[in-house]
Amino acid sequence: MRAEAASNERFADKQKEGDVRSKNIVAAKAVADAIRTSLGPKGMDKMIETKDGEVLITNDGATIMSHMQVFHPTARMLVELSKAQDIEAGDGTTSVVVLCGSMLNQCQKLLSKGIHPTHITEAFQSAATKAEEVLDSVAIPVDLEDRPSLVQAATTSLASKVISAHSDVLAPLAVDAVLRVLDPAMPDNVDLDNIKVVKALGGTVEEAELIEGLVFPKRASHVASGPTRIAGAKIGLIQFCLSAPKTDMENTVVVSEYSAMDRVLDSERKHILKLCKAIKASGCNVLLVQKSILRDAAKMKIMVVTNVERDDIEFVSKTVGARPVAHIDHLTPRRLASAPREEVSTTRKRIVKITGVPKPCPTVCLLVRGSNKLVLDEAERSMHDALCVVRAIVKKRALIVGGGAPETEVALKLTEWANTLTGMSSVCTRAFAEALEVIPYTLAENAGLYPIHIVTELRKRHAEGCSTAGINVRSGCISDLLKEDVRQPLLVSTSAIALATETVRMILKVDDIVPVR
Amino acid sequence: MADSAVFASNAEVNKGEHARMSSFIGAIAIADLVKTTLGPKGMDKILQSVNDGSITVTNDGATILKSVVVDNPAAKVLIDIAKTQDDEVGDGTTSVTVLCGELLREAEKLLAQKIHPMTVVDGWRLASSEARKALEASALDHSADEAAFREDLLSIARTTLSSKLLTHEKDYFAKLAVDAVMRVRDGGSLDAIQVLKMAGGSLKDSYLESGFILNKKIGVGQPHRVEGAKIMVANTAMDTDKIKIFGSKVRVDSLDKVAAIEHAEREKMRAKVQSIVDHGITVFINRQLIYNFAEELFADAGVMAIEHADFEGVERLASVTGAEIVSTFDHPEGTTLGTADLVEEIIIGEQRMLRFSGVKVGHACTIVLRGASSHVLEEAERSLHDALAVLLETVKTGPIVFGGGASEVLMAAAVDEAAKTVAGKKQLAMEAFARALRTLPGIVADNAGFDSADLVAQVRAAQAAGNIRAGIDVLTGAAGDMKELGIVEALKLKRAVLLSASEAAEMVIRCDDIVKAAPRAPENPHPHM
Repeated sequence: MRAEAASNERFADKQKEGDVRSKNIVAAKAVADAIRTSLGPKGMDKMIETKDGEVLITNDGATIMSHMQVFHPTARMLVELSKAQDIEAGDGTTSVVVLCGSMLNQCQKLLSKGIHPTHITEAFQSAATKAEEVLDSVAIPVDLEDRPSLVQAATTSLASKVISAHSDVLAPLAVDAVLRVLDPAMPDNVDLDNIKVVKALGGTVEEAELIEGLVFPKRASHVASGPTRIAGAKIGLIQFCLSAPKTDMENTVVVSEYSAMDRVLDSERKHILKLCKAIKASGCNVLLVQKSILRDAAKMKIMVVTNVERDDIEFVSKTVGARPVAHIDHLTPRRLASAPREEVSTTRKRIVKITGVPKPCPTVCLLVRGSNKLVLDEAERSMHDALCVVRAIVKKRALIVGGGAPETEVALKLTEWANTLTGMSSVCTRAFAEALEVIPYTLAENAGLYPIHIVTELRKRHAEGCSTAGINVRSGCISDLLKEDVRQPLLVSTSAIALATETVRMILKVDDIVPVR
Repeated sequence: MADSAVFASNAEVNKGEHARMSSFIGAIAIADLVKTTLGPKGMDKILQSVNDGSITVTNDGATILKSVVVDNPAAKVLIDIAKTQDDEVGDGTTSVTVLCGELLREAEKLLAQKIHPMTVVDGWRLASSEARKALEASALDHSADEAAFREDLLSIARTTLSSKLLTHEKDYFAKLAVDAVMRVRDGGSLDAIQVLKMAGGSLKDSYLESGFILNKKIGVGQPHRVEGAKIMVANTAMDTDKIKIFGSKVRVDSLDKVAAIEHAEREKMRAKVQSIVDHGITVFINRQLIYNFAEELFADAGVMAIEHADFEGVERLASVTGAEIVSTFDHPEGTTLGTADLVEEIIIGEQRMLRFSGVKVGHACTIVLRGASSHVLEEAERSLHDALAVLLETVKTGPIVFGGGASEVLMAAAVDEAAKTVAGKKQLAMEAFARALRTLPGIVADNAGFDSADLVAQVRAAQAAGNIRAGIDVLTGAAGDMKELGIVEALKLKRAVLLSASEAAEMVIRCDDIVKAAPRAPENPHPHM
């Protein structure tokens, strides 16, 4: 009777519909609640201890989520959700998860009223479309020439991060970096790969700078005897080893007597010397090496930077205009990047800078500094968010005010719209509107304000027609944020609502979890 | 047990009633598992792997059934027919399983009335041939009229997609799928339609791109745009030509000789690259890595070289550009090169991709899918695959029938009508068959949260009044005109569902014994007795 036993066993595994759905919602909500406190400028950070014992302090939703080792399927979907928002808009990764959690909370109420899940998903979908229209209508179009607005948006994004104190330095950097790499051929998108964020330990966050050229966060080899500053550099980018010959086939050098050993050593030296001479002969005085080091180059007044990552080769090649050289015979003056204005300098801060590269330079480097590794890492992540925010504006040239204002406005308009509907869709739309208010609510809560007081006053102000009224976290009251210059890209908000709705719909539609191989 | 003398010690035998009961339980359990996914308002399942905990969210019957772990022979039969349905038609996998399950449920009742299984089988055979006749008689064929046929295809695509994740953007995706299929209608296969998944954006940002897209980067310093490209697709080592004997070694007595070997290795690579370039190519795509040295040589020759293209990508690329995959380069005259009017770099989402347009197989196209998460994307791909498969079948065969339960009710009525003329117990079997057919629209209505008994009765009444287009409108929860609502399905799909479900159910009830061979005991020689 094994067959029967087996099918009975599966029956035991199978959880029942309603049960499964509510469990799914509870699991997803738990994840959303976990990161709720990091939302907004007064949001708290999380300290994460990774598997290998490293400590990570961050406020970035996507980073927290990616390190949470959740197992429940729907909780994983939320992790995916924040990743998707990171890809799409680069910022708002916390908001999107919080929003999703809040929508699920509303769904739970609707389900308990006996509304069929498909009705809820349909109503939510049309509500989300409507929400996007409302957001579009309150958006302020922005021109890429309007630098202060762009800087403002980047500042808003940085406001919730550890490094917010330095946002006046970092925000303009992010804006400049993106505008610099904007390709006129593709005015609607920016390839962020053309911006390299380089981290260097030491110094303070304020010392971050934008460099048109290259930065290597490492010391040039053997600075002591080699040159530290070269003007009018001729840069060679090589991909071969400067060492004794290496063959792909396994080889053994047989040494049978003592004098033979000397000969071998001698010939090895000669071989390397020959390579160095060839390099010198090509007129190269700065050498970027993908592979291992060069011992004798320093003596020849060549500055050497070793261990350039293979992935970076393309970036380096694009920036300095030097083609990578994979064989010593190919190292000809033609292959070197040479411009009289080029200048390479290395400082005691252990970084190598290459500046004055030929125009037009399609790439830039952002040098981020920080006093310890944790700050540095967080600064890099924040910088990434800021860059993404600027890119989001390039993609969709509109801004909206922040501080919970757009969410309140959408909630208000949706509630009005719900009043014109009948039946299930009206109830569901109203629930959707209510779910959106979680953003101002949480912002207020995290800032230590009275959330109910704040949210209701916000509603009142919006009902009176002030669509830009939002929470001014700094002064702890409601004000017209358009005047306060708290702005964020439209894309962040629209994609957050669209993506969160998509995920909620997906979770709602699931009625069973089946164990499979 | 008495059998223990005959069978190996750990073999199992189920006989008669027990065997049949275990078959019914297993098959019905499988059918019930996928039952809730049926129809436009069907629910999804999360498939959670017991090994690594990875999850899949799906509505596709075939995907669910393929992955569940079962240890019941009859359940495996159901899974097999779902797989066959998936291979043959591409959609209707849930319907076929559910119909088979319902037939068995009816059979259980008949057997309880002491009707011999063979009588049931005979009745079912009569019933299924009647149902088939009725179905084929109701089919419409518009394939001669281009505009009407396209409208049909759009309706079919919308119907297929409406039960999937893509339902909210079904108009958009229906158009996308029809456009893609119309491109390959002349003898093409689904291979010419590539589906590329890119995380980010929303489903609405998906689009149809002509040509082929490869998710690869171009080597450093090489041209980023090649017009009138001559393409070589290769699978060869571009790091080193190693002697393929493990542990091959050379012994030398000085470093100069090592240098000489190194030099020789380089020269060999240089010669290889030269012989490749000598084919007169402008684009070189390799299945394996291209190392820096070779990459540089290609850059010098002005050839676009792409390394480490994945296996599937290479195969497809070779077929759409008309190239042969080569691994030796000594005979340029014998090598078939691929062509493309333009090879260029484009940005999709945040990623740079390579697009090959104007390729030899002119109808090749790529559907770029965008979506919030990998779950959404994978499910979207499955849905789209179903739609494309059904469309392609329709394009090849032509006729369509009405969906929304209209065809099932129609067939059931025909079977009922025929049953009246049959004398004997077969009549009961035929009536049972009709009942099973009518359960399908009932389940669709149940899943949408409507009163299924009432709705199916409404549809029956409407059809009895002569309106064969009457079916269930799940949006309003009433009987509606399927033609006006544009709910149609391919005849081939419906016919396959009907025939394979009845055959499988027949197979299950014919069995009265289940013999389980002892696990991993090859010397168990006893056949079924």
